Parts: sequence; structure tokens; C-alpha cells
Amino acid sequence: MKKYHLVRRPRQSLGRLLIYYLIGITISLGIGAILLASLGINPFEYYGRMLTIGMIGNKYAYKNIEGFLKILVPLLITSLALGLSFKMRFWNIGGEGEFLIGAISAAIVAFNVTGLPRPLTIILMCVAAMLSSGLLGLAVAFFKVKFNTNETLVTLMINYIMLYVITYLGKTKEDWNFFLDPKSARPIFGKFPETGIMTGIKIGNFNLLWSVIIAIALIALIYVYLKYTKHGYEIAVVGDSNATAKYAGMKVGKIIMRTMFISSAMIGLAAGLTASSSGTISETITNNVGWTGIVVAWLSKLNTPAIAVTSVLIAILQFGCKTAATKYPSIDSNFADLLQGIILFSVLTADFCATFTIKKKEDAKND
Amino acid sequence: MEYAIELKGISKQFGTLFANKNVNLQLKKGEILALLGENGSGKTTLMNMLSGIYMPDSGSIFINGKKVSISSPEDSAKLGIGMVHQHFKLIERFSALDNIRIGLRDEKGFLLKKDTKNQVVKMAEKFGFEIDPDKLVSNMSVSEKQTLEILKVLCYGAKIIILDEPTAVLTVQEIDKLFAVLRKMKEEGHSIIIITHKLNEVMAISDRVTVLRHGEYIDTVYTDQTDEKQLTELMVGRKVNLFIERPPIEKTKPLLEIRGLTVKNDEGAIAVDHLDFYIRGGEILGVAGIAGSGQKELCEAIAGLRPIIEGKMIHKGENIVGLSPRKILEKGISMSFIPEDRLGMGLAPSLSITDNMILKNYNEPKGPFIDRKYAREEAKKVIERLKVVAPSTEIAVRKLSGGNVQKVLLGREIKSGPNVLITAYPVRGLDINSSYMIYNILNDEKKKDVGILFIGEDIDVMMALCDKIMVICHGKLQGVVNSNHTTKEEIGLMMTGALNLVDKGGKTAGIARDSGFAEDEEKNETEETGL
Amino acid sequence: MIEVITLFLFSIIVYNIPLLYGTTGEIMIEKSGSLNLGVEGTMAIGAVAGYLIGMRTGSLLVACLVSFVASGLVGLLFSFLTVTLQANQNVTGLTITTFGVAFYYFIGNAVSNSESKWPALGGSRLDKQFAPIEIPLLSKIPVIGKVLFSHSILIYLGFIIAILMWLYFGKTVPGLKLRAIGENPAAADSLGVNVTLYKYVHIIIGSGIMGIGGLYMALNMGGTFEGSNCWINGYGWISIALVIFANWSPAKAIIGTLVFGFFNTLRVQNAPLATAFPNTLGWLTKIPAQFFSALPFIITLIVLIISSVSKNSNSNEPSAIGRNYYREDR
Repeated sequence: MKKYHLVRRPRQSLGRLLIYYLIGITISLGIGAILLASLGINPFEYYGRMLTIGMIGNKYAYKNIEGFLKILVPLLITSLALGLSFKMRFWNIGGEGEFLIGAISAAIVAFNVTGLPRPLTIILMCVAAMLSSGLLGLAVAFFKVKFNTNETLVTLMINYIMLYVITYLGKTKEDWNFFLDPKSARPIFGKFPETGIMTGIKIGNFNLLWSVIIAIALIALIYVYLKYTKHGYEIAVVGDSNATAKYAGMKVGKIIMRTMFISSAMIGLAAGLTASSSGTISETITNNVGWTGIVVAWLSKLNTPAIAVTSVLIAILQFGCKTAATKYPSIDSNFADLLQGIILFSVLTADFCATFTIKKKEDAKND
Repeated sequence: MEYAIELKGISKQFGTLFANKNVNLQLKKGEILALLGENGSGKTTLMNMLSGIYMPDSGSIFINGKKVSISSPEDSAKLGIGMVHQHFKLIERFSALDNIRIGLRDEKGFLLKKDTKNQVVKMAEKFGFEIDPDKLVSNMSVSEKQTLEILKVLCYGAKIIILDEPTAVLTVQEIDKLFAVLRKMKEEGHSIIIITHKLNEVMAISDRVTVLRHGEYIDTVYTDQTDEKQLTELMVGRKVNLFIERPPIEKTKPLLEIRGLTVKNDEGAIAVDHLDFYIRGGEILGVAGIAGSGQKELCEAIAGLRPIIEGKMIHKGENIVGLSPRKILEKGISMSFIPEDRLGMGLAPSLSITDNMILKNYNEPKGPFIDRKYAREEAKKVIERLKVVAPSTEIAVRKLSGGNVQKVLLGREIKSGPNVLITAYPVRGLDINSSYMIYNILNDEKKKDVGILFIGEDIDVMMALCDKIMVICHGKLQGVVNSNHTTKEEIGLMMTGALNLVDKGGKTAGIARDSGFAEDEEKNETEETGL
Repeated sequence: MIEVITLFLFSIIVYNIPLLYGTTGEIMIEKSGSLNLGVEGTMAIGAVAGYLIGMRTGSLLVACLVSFVASGLVGLLFSFLTVTLQANQNVTGLTITTFGVAFYYFIGNAVSNSESKWPALGGSRLDKQFAPIEIPLLSKIPVIGKVLFSHSILIYLGFIIAILMWLYFGKTVPGLKLRAIGENPAAADSLGVNVTLYKYVHIIIGSGIMGIGGLYMALNMGGTFEGSNCWINGYGWISIALVIFANWSPAKAIIGTLVFGFFNTLRVQNAPLATAFPNTLGWLTKIPAQFFSALPFIITLIVLIISSVSKNSNSNEPSAIGRNYYREDR
């Protein structure tokens, strides 16, 4: 019989958790520093550049903020959306696919609806994106509810199917293919007409895109939705105990389908905003937010304000590595993913250490 | 003489509660010993100490005369003890043979041996099991699965076999078969302990009977020198006078009438079998029965959570069969069930007390928002009224102690002002003071003309608190008795199926004289069945 | 014309055998009740580690062992996080993929960039040891000889692993216990099977097998870090789909590899086929390449839906898959 066993700590303090997280992140950055040093890169310089997203000593620092926000907005919205479905213990790992179908739908509107004023066109693009993504999510939820089809594997397959759909659109030079740039002989995605490209509020040189404002509004909206509305309450109960939800007279299947629709539609919105703010689509338009969003939501324990903070941190990591990579040719922006992985592993460990403690077993008196 | 098992002065404490207190037990070689006791009398805990799941706090265990220490299931198996649990531990997608092979200690080699099948078949023949070793468990009936479980421990070389309520899931014919096997095992020199509540089975199969009550050892008697009446007395003890208030009832019309209710359990077996009963406003109807006699399924059926195979449920003259759980709630029928782990049905454990308050009526306020201010006030009221110990209304229910969890649950149920209150095991695991507080709450509700169905474990409590007690056994009605005109022994005999009072004195129990079932409806019913 | 067909069939095996490694490795892990979505990353790490060290030592055997160990360590990480720390399997697996692919790029940059302090990619090439071995007599049979019996040793090894694993699951005591854990860990535990140990061992071995698949891809691609795509190039994800298509059987994984490989080869070799058989197969060039790329995922999606819709399906998906097992401490 084992002498020691794991027990849940009787009191969970936020302070201890944060300290453990901090230790975990420090260790991760330490490992990263060793890797950097082995390449001959000064880790302090690199991290300095990364954490300030390359703004120090940069004449065009505002451009960096714009670039950073372009990475942040889709990641933030997608993480919020995935958090919504994870809260119900519904494993929607189809963020990538839902994002792609949304982007394609937005592009269809952008290329074909001309003559409408810009705001209206962009709204139409977002609505099309939300509907297409939302219906895709709804279909997955329907199969889960009706036939208990494994949602993890289904959404995984959809991610790749959608990836090949957009690749097909981007690689096929045909008359019907309005997605492509007609002037280019090589197939490349065309630029949207002016009415499909998002503008923003000019603050000096800095251009604050509307999508940023929408993203901030969404944080508040989701916070309120989960915390104060009947829907949010239902999500919490269904996620906590299916049996209790049924006992309380809730229609569990309906709640799952509705929430998956909302969750996927939000990812569609992220896609519509991203397409509109970059003025085109591409195979890499998701910037892996479907995957990274899962990590963000999980690191944040599905807590809305924490998701906002974590998204910012991960976006700094990603954009910071991107800008740093321009200075150090021996490393590329994938270093962000490497660090992100190490951070998640150490945070998972830290989380465990903060929740459990090793206790000596009380000796059984056997006489 | 040397015993197969001898337990001396075994005690086991969980927190402040004694599960076993100074228990002695002797199992002779080659005998069948019945272990008898009410729910919560400590039988399973005691047996778990033999199978290595718990270790005793004090006392000693002797196997074949040698003092041993059993600290894991492996130790237990090495000593030749095999336990057949009530819940099968089988792999559905495997054949019987493969299920046996997983734990086979002889099969040391890397490759699966060909002759294992022959050994299994031989072992089965030796004891008269009818089993096809290649049959998949998923295609087996409950009784076949049980046979497999027994065969499994025999194949692992067990000489001492403990069966935890083996007959609970079997039909009469299957029980006969099982007993034949047990006798055969006895002939082969195996020693058997069988845990059961059913006195007729005890009389039929055992050589001796050891009785436990409230965790304590009461007595051991020879089966051929005792009778069901004596065993019942040993099991339930003398009537204890509890000073629980029982306000007089003012008769009103039946509030909820149940006729011919038939419901299946999760495994698909009949759990509630053509049950008839009714509750009047302002009375407490107790439900007495051995654990697993269909109590849970009955609760779920009334609350609309379990499909009803057959039967009617008339609430204030309206049929509620087939209504959604929410519709039934809206009619004022409230159900709370405290499961053995004390969480689960009825509460969302990770949510706060506040949030749990509005679980059933969160949808009432108009608009998209929940009314948490109201919920918080309700939470405060419940905490105050039921003296719940909680640091704040915002603490997750999971973090409360057991008694407080129950108070929160019951508090929520009564605050909505139901007209029928179904409450199962509301005092499970509570201390005396908390229990009395719950009884008072129920009596307050009764005075408000609420009809209460009280599903309980302790007969003394039910006789003191309830106006009438209905006794069920295997999901079947055994009769309804008036608490003033019954004895503990009578209830005990009915619970174990030894006594049936359904048709006593020309009046069928469970059907009200002033039934709300309309005449023509009854006629329709007969016509329907005639079709 | 016969050459076109021979080359086509030959390519099915040569270019798709890593799928068999990825699939058999994942089957072993899933049989223990764990869903590891980190196949792509695990293969990437095995590929990089085995290839670099193999080049240094000039031994294919060493390369294989290093790939196995490196990916095995990734498996150890997955087991530690999900079995011991009870972390969520989906999140852990996905992160292993992100991490593993990023690791590939990190090493790739480090060894191929002139400014890096790392030693440049070098050493002897493993071409000779990796070259096809023509099995005497059998390889002389027309068509079949070329298609089946003149391959690199790692191809034969892939088939051998699949067959051995099939026998292991069906005919051995540990294989039986492993399957029991994947079906019902609590029952296996109650019968004295060490669930934690079994999970660790099989997750590590399964991951190691994936690593050898990664090494094969590195060698087959010529092992340069040029180009923006990772060597593994999505084969890890197709492997996860293939596990479902193969219905969790290593023997069916061989068939599945050939079927998915067939589509994959149609995508690459549609032009020669269309030229060789203009009348019957001329339409092949009209089908977009992306359709063939998506086909494994489309087929798997259909399999997933059909097997869940039809109630009496004979899916062999381990019942306890994806759920961590936690025994209440006694």
C-alpha cells in the first residue's frame, strides 16, 4: 500500500495559484532563454524585443500596435467562443474549420455585393460569416445530441476539409472563381473591393480598427451573458451536471445546440472581421487561432476576464516573436509556438501542484 | 475449531461516525453464513475490510487460524478471498473467457494459453454453471453476468466467497439456480458469506446468521433454530420512542393518486411494479423498503424524469403522465432525492448556494436575465431558517459539509411552496439535531396542507413522523399501514417480502375510497385494456 | 503503360508508409483509453532527432533508436500530464502538436542558418542503408516484385510492426489487459491490472513508433529544411483519421494505409495516369488535387457519422477513450 497519497487542498487560494503560474512561466522562459543562448542570441535582448513587441526605438511603433491588434482580435474572439462550448464540456476543436467557412462566406459577400455603402457591406459580410459558421457548429451539435457522435473527431475532420476547400479556391484559376485576382496570371486571392475593407478611427497616425472595439464589446457581452443571463445559467448547470439540468426541467439538447450555434457564429464573426480588416482571405487567414484559442481558453480556466488577459499575453508572445524574428535570422516566428507549448506544459503542472498536495497516509492501526 | 474467517473486535470509523463498532464474526469452513442487517448497518463496510478496500481501525482478522493484515485487493485474493460485488465489474465488449483471463494469476506467460478455456469450462461444469465462455458480456442477461462474476472468483482460486446482495437483481427461478450453485460450492468445501435482506432467502440457504445493527454486532444464530420473526426482531431491534411531533391530520381529498405505475431501471429491469398509492394533502406518507426496491425510480417517475411503462398519475384530477419535468414542477410537485454520495441529483455542485436556489425557477422572471438578487435573498433565508453553516451565499455547494448540502436542497424545495413534496432520504448522514430540524420543517409543511411522500431508511423515525407507511419490496406494494396500528416487526416482515397486506380485510391498499379517478375513466380503462 | 501502373502502385507504398507508423502508434495509445491528438508533433520531433543524430553517426539503426526514444519521451510527457496530473487529453495532445512542429522549425533554423551557433547539418548520408532491399527471387516477379518486394527496410518494418501489434492485441496476456483498460479501467484495476503502468508503457511505445514514421518521412524527403512545410506535412492528422477508418485494428490499418495512399497517389500521379490511359482515365486531371487531399477526412467524417447513427454498429472504439481514469484513493 502506498504510504503517500494525493489529496485536494482544502482551501484553494487565488494567490497561491498565481504564484505557481508565475513560477511555471518563469521556468518556461528560462528554458526558452537556454535555447536562444545556444543559437548565439542574447535572451535578454530577445525577450526585451518580444515583450515590447518591437516598439522600442522604432519610428513606426504605432504600426506595431496595429499589427499586434490584428493578431489579438481574432484570437480573443475565438477563445471566448471556444470557452463558451467548453463550459458545457462540449469539445469543439473545430475553430479552424469554423473560422475558414466564415472567412469564405465573408469573401463571397465582399466580392459580389457591390454598390452598398461600406458599413452595410461589412455588416453583411459578418452576418454571412456568422450564419455559415454557426450552422456548421449547429450541425455538429445536432449529431452529438441526437446520435452521440464524437464531436472532437468530427470537428477535427471538418478543420481539414475546410482547409482544402479554401486551398482549392485559392489555387484554381477558372472563370467562375471570383475569389482570385483577375490581373494575376498566377492564382492568388484577390483584394476585396473598397466597400468590403474595414476602416477605423484615426488617432494621429494610428488607425484603431472597428474590429478592436467590437472585440472589447464582446468581452463585456460574453461576461454578462455567462454570468447574468438565463442562457449563461443553463450553460453552467449543463456543464456541471447533466442529470441536475434535466431534473431542473432544462432541455439539455436544445441548450447544447443553441450554445454551439452561438459559439461557432462568434468564430464566424472573428473570421468576417479578420477578412474585412485584411481586405482579402488566404489559406493562412486563421493564423491558427482555432488551435491557439483552445490553449488560451484552457489556460484561463474558461473564465472570461482571464481569457481576455491570456489572449493579450499570447498575442504579445506571437507578435513579439514575429518582430524579433526580423532581427535574428537564425530563428523564426515559430519560436512563439515552442514557448507556448512549454508554457502550457508547465502551467498544467503548476495548476496540479496548486490544487493537490501530497499527504502522508494515516497509518491504519491493525491491532 | 479453526475458522475460515474470524473477526475479533473490528471497528471502523468514518469521521465521527462508527461504521463498525467492535464486530465479531466467525465463518466456519464449508458453511454458508448469512450476514443480515438494515441499510447502513455496516455490512458492506465490514466485507470491504475483508476484500482489502478498507483497513480496520482496530481489531484483528484471522484467516484459517492465522492472523493476517489485508491492505489491498491483491492481499485479499492471495488469501483466497473472493468478493462478488453488487455492481458488476465486467468488460461488456469482451467474452466471458477474456473477462476471466484479465485477472488470472496463473496466466503468467506472455501468450494467451489455449487450455485456459478448458479449465474454465471444467470449473463451470464442476459447479453446475451454465455458461458459454465465448459469449460476449454485452449479450448476457443479468443473471448470466452474475454467474460469470462468481465463476471468475472461483477461477482465481477463492476458497472464501463473499456475495453482496446477489439476489437483488435476479428473478425467482434465477435465485433457485444460484442457490443450487452455492450449495454445490459448499459441498466442494468453499466457505460462503452472503449479504442479504430477504429473510426467506436467509432461511432457505444459510447455515447460520450473523446480525448487525447500526454498525454493531448483535448476535449469531443457527438458521434451523430460528424463524423469520426472531430474525426481524434482531435486525430492527426494539421500538425506540422518538419524540418527533406528529400533528393530527385533517383529511382532504387525495392530492396525488398513482395507479398501476410500472417503471424500469437503468438496466432495463422492472423497478416499480404496478404500484398503487395516494397522498392526501396534510399527511405524511412514509415509504419503507430495502435499499434498491425502486425508491429512486419511483421518485424519478413522479418528477417526469423517467419514462413510464404503464400506469396513471393523477394530480388534482389531472393526468400528469407524459408531462415534461418542468410542467410537473409548475403543478407544484417538488421532488428531492439525496443519493448515497449526497450530491448529484438536485444540485449543481460547482455552483453557489445562490445559484442553486433558483435551479427550478430561474426561468420565472421575464426577460433574458436571471434574478440573482432574489436568489441571494432566498439563499439567505434558507441559511437562516435551516441554520446552514456556510461562510457566504456565494460558496460552491460542493464545498459545504454533507448536512448543510441537504439543508440547502430541502430549503429550496419547500421555499417554492409545493403542494406535493417528495423527499427521499432527507436525513441521510445527518446528526440528531439536524435531523430533528428537518422533521420540524416537514411538519410545518404538513400543517400547510402539503402532501408529503417521505422515503426513509429508519423505521423508528417513520413510525413517529409519518401518518401512514407504505411498504414496498422489489418495486411491489406490500401494503399500507397506519403508524398508530402497526409494529416494527410487521413493517420489517413486509419489507423483506415475508408478509403481504395488500388485500387485507377486503380493502385493497393504495386505492382511496374517495378516489379522484372518474367513473367513466375507469370504464375507459377497462375498455382500453380489453382492446 | 505497365510501368505507369507499377510506379503508381509502388508510390502508394513508398509515400504513404508513414501513415501506417502514425496509425499503429496511435492505435496502441487509443487502446489504452487515451486520445492523443499530438501525432503530428510527435512524428516531427522523432524525425528531427533521429535524422540529425543518424547523420552524425552514419547509422540507420541509431537513427531509428533515437527517433523512437525522442518520440517516446514526448509520449512520456503526454502520459505524465494526462495520467499522473489528470490534464485534459485534447488540450495536451494539441499542444504537443504545436510544440513538436515548432521544435522542428527551431532545429531546422538552428542547423541550416549561417548565423546560428549550432553546427551545420552534416555527416554521412543514410541513403545507402535506407535504399531499397530487393528480396531475392520475389522481387523478380513482374509488377508485384517491384511493388511489394523492393523496398527500404523501414517499409518492411512498418508492416511487421502492424502485424506484430495485431497479434499482440489478440493473442497475448498484456494485449488483453491493455484492451481491458481501454474499455473499462475501473474493472481492470479491480482485477489487479496496474492501469497507470500500462498506460505509460503503451503511450510511450505508441509514440516511439510514430517517431520512426517521422524519420522515414525525413529520409524520404531527402532531409533538407528548405521549403516552408514541415516534413510531416499533415500525415499525423491523416493518421488520426485513419485510426477511425481502420476501426482500431492494426491489421485494418494496413488496408487503410493503402486506401488513403491510393487517393494520395492519385493526386500526385494523375497526369501520368491520364496520359497513359487517355480514354479511361483522362478525367483524372480535371479533379482538383485538394479533393484527393480532403478525401481521407471526408471519408472519416462519413464513417464517424454513420457508425454513430446506426445503433448496432460494430465500431471498436475503446469505450473509455478520452476520459482520464482516477481511482478514488483508498
